[in-house]
Amino acid sequence: MKHIAVFGYNRLSFEAISRLDKELFQITVIDQNPAKTALAAENGFETANIDFRSGDDLKLIGIGSHIDTLFCFFDADSENVFLTLSARALDKELNIIAIVDSPESAEKLLAAGANKIIDPYEICGRKIHDMLKRPDIHDIFDHTVFGRHDLHLAEVTIPENSYLENAHISQLQLSSQYNLLLIGIVNKQISAQLHFVVEEFDRRLSVGDILVILGPSREIRAFKKDVENEFCKI
Amino acid sequence: MLAKLIVYCAYYLKSADWYRHSKVFFYDLLENSHSRKKKYFDATMIGLLILSVIFLIYDIEHNDSKMGGYFELAILMIFVAEYFIRGWIHSDAYKVIIEEHEKALYLNLNLNLSSVFKKIAARDLEYIWSPFAIIDILAILPSYRPLDILRIFIIFRLFKLFRYSDSAKLFADALASKRYELSTLLIFTCFLVFIAGVSIYMFEYQAAGSNINNLFDAFYWTIVTLATVGYGDITPQTTGGRWVAIFLILASLGVLSFFTSILIAAFSEKMLSVRESRTYAQLDRYNSFIIICGFGRVGQEIARHLHNERQKFVVIDRTPHKIALAKQRGYLAIENDASNNEVLINAGICRAASAILCITGDDVINVYITLTSRHLNKNLRIISRANRHDNVNKLYQAGADNVIRPFEIAGLLAAEFVGQPVAFEAISGILHNQTEIVMESVLVSEKSPLDNQQIGQLDLAQRKLTLLGVISDNPIHLKHKNKYQVKELHFYFNPETKFILRHGDMLVLLGRKYGIDHFRDQVEQRRLFSRTRA
Repeated sequence: MKHIAVFGYNRLSFEAISRLDKELFQITVIDQNPAKTALAAENGFETANIDFRSGDDLKLIGIGSHIDTLFCFFDADSENVFLTLSARALDKELNIIAIVDSPESAEKLLAAGANKIIDPYEICGRKIHDMLKRPDIHDIFDHTVFGRHDLHLAEVTIPENSYLENAHISQLQLSSQYNLLLIGIVNKQISAQLHFVVEEFDRRLSVGDILVILGPSREIRAFKKDVENEFCKI
Repeated sequence: MLAKLIVYCAYYLKSADWYRHSKVFFYDLLENSHSRKKKYFDATMIGLLILSVIFLIYDIEHNDSKMGGYFELAILMIFVAEYFIRGWIHSDAYKVIIEEHEKALYLNLNLNLSSVFKKIAARDLEYIWSPFAIIDILAILPSYRPLDILRIFIIFRLFKLFRYSDSAKLFADALASKRYELSTLLIFTCFLVFIAGVSIYMFEYQAAGSNINNLFDAFYWTIVTLATVGYGDITPQTTGGRWVAIFLILASLGVLSFFTSILIAAFSEKMLSVRESRTYAQLDRYNSFIIICGFGRVGQEIARHLHNERQKFVVIDRTPHKIALAKQRGYLAIENDASNNEVLINAGICRAASAILCITGDDVINVYITLTSRHLNKNLRIISRANRHDNVNKLYQAGADNVIRPFEIAGLLAAEFVGQPVAFEAISGILHNQTEIVMESVLVSEKSPLDNQQIGQLDLAQRKLTLLGVISDNPIHLKHKNKYQVKELHFYFNPETKFILRHGDMLVLLGRKYGIDHFRDQVEQRRLFSRTRA
């Protein structure tokens, strides 16, 4: 179970948290405006009434202890920067995701210690450009991976003692055995770069490698289960 | 009998192809501001006009030069021809005849020839009295030798430039738009000239040392003084005359500054529309472009991408500082309201626009622009932005092809990032071309070597490409599993090796850009090769 603190309750944060699996994530919504907090409570989210400017209040809701991820979704960039800065001071490991309104603030947020910046306008602009440039692929992805259809991206980390350890990529046969496509592999220890699978046919898998796969959720579940099973054989 | 013959001729002209073609040709040449022919014609005419004036100047010193005479004649012929052809394009006499004939037929009356001729004559007179036609005549008449006194009017030919040059037209328009102010000023100036002229005449006439010998001298002095020129050939000698001069000089300062301010105001007002019309003229030259309505953050982002790809586009926004920003970045921009039909039509929504993006921050405006654009052009691609979830359906109803919700997408990305950051970064990098690995589609065209081939035979792994799936609307594939419906198409995810491709299908491939390009080139080459052999 991961704990997420969401600061600022608005359209964006609502969209984000309603897509998260309630069984995997415990979400706490915080907003300065009591009306918004009430609205969040009405929508079934756990809320907390604290002042984000105070370090003690942040500690109170679990930043520095059990909170893993922080969403800084306030409307004003200055508030997000302040929150990021205070939270980073309390917890070096915290995963901080912040939205940014004006592009100049992106650097400030990164400097303050945010892990990921989300610029809704930039994303939207890029998406519209993509729509214009290659409508076919765009539509497919919009409806499948990001849409209602059951086609998902997933990442599977190879655990210790897995049957996949030391296996060749060419031996995996994901597409015939599971109806899954292996897109690439990332080894976090080395770099966060994705190794494109078709170019590294002879690569041996090692513990800690993350496989990025695409497929229907049932197949993804089945594959994940098998990966964790020591006795499963190729 | 005569009436019948005339009606017959009118019908013949109406149906005759040569007549219609020649009319269209001359219309394009002379009047149609969008045609290329008119541009060349206008340039030629401007050249001729300038030459004719040069010859006139040359003639002043060299009487009766032979070359000048022939040239003058040639120009004259062209002007006369142009004058009559313009009249011909304007008149459409046969239409009047047919209309009157059909009216008479319906009412069971005889065709009244005199009323028909009256109508035709009225149309012709309308042409003859139009300002441009008068200028044309003024350019022609002075060449008539017996009216040699009119030769000075040849200089008036230069007025014909108004016909051929937009900037000259603009100058006239700017003045015309200040008609009221200018006429007020003119009346005041006339008063001033009259009062000052008559007073100086009263004081100075036959005074000692004075040069004012008649009323004309008095008015001449007044105007020279009023214009702050003051040659000094006539100067007031009496005390009264000097008082008049003082009064006139003070008043003329006011008149002149008022006049200048009117002109400046007129031109600065006109400048905006000049810039706009320049933008429109540039858009006129494009065969395909995109209209971006709203230059906020989203619009700026799209414009940046399109600009990098050298795609043509135009920005429309109401806010001056946003338009200034767009211009500063070198984009075409129009400062106007995009929900206005006229603005969109001028921008070319019915002509060459391939898509319109309604992406202002206000859903009400987006819906309105969407509706307007759909109404103006049924086939246009419209992409709209919905800032609130409940407005999505309204935008689709208004005619949008795609509706995009910035906050929802951003929310989705945030959620994906929390859930599976690695997968998310990987796929967003690929989708946005940030990595070397891209996702692209390859079409299976007719007679392509891919047509009727099994996927297993394609050897994609050797080419270092991953096949994500096949997009197709071919019902033959429906038996396969893993299909996802997207609009009218199906996406077949991870197709089996025995999946047989048909023409019209699209392969969605993941690979390096040059890998996919190479594959596509090879397929195309083999297609052409097999065709030449066949």
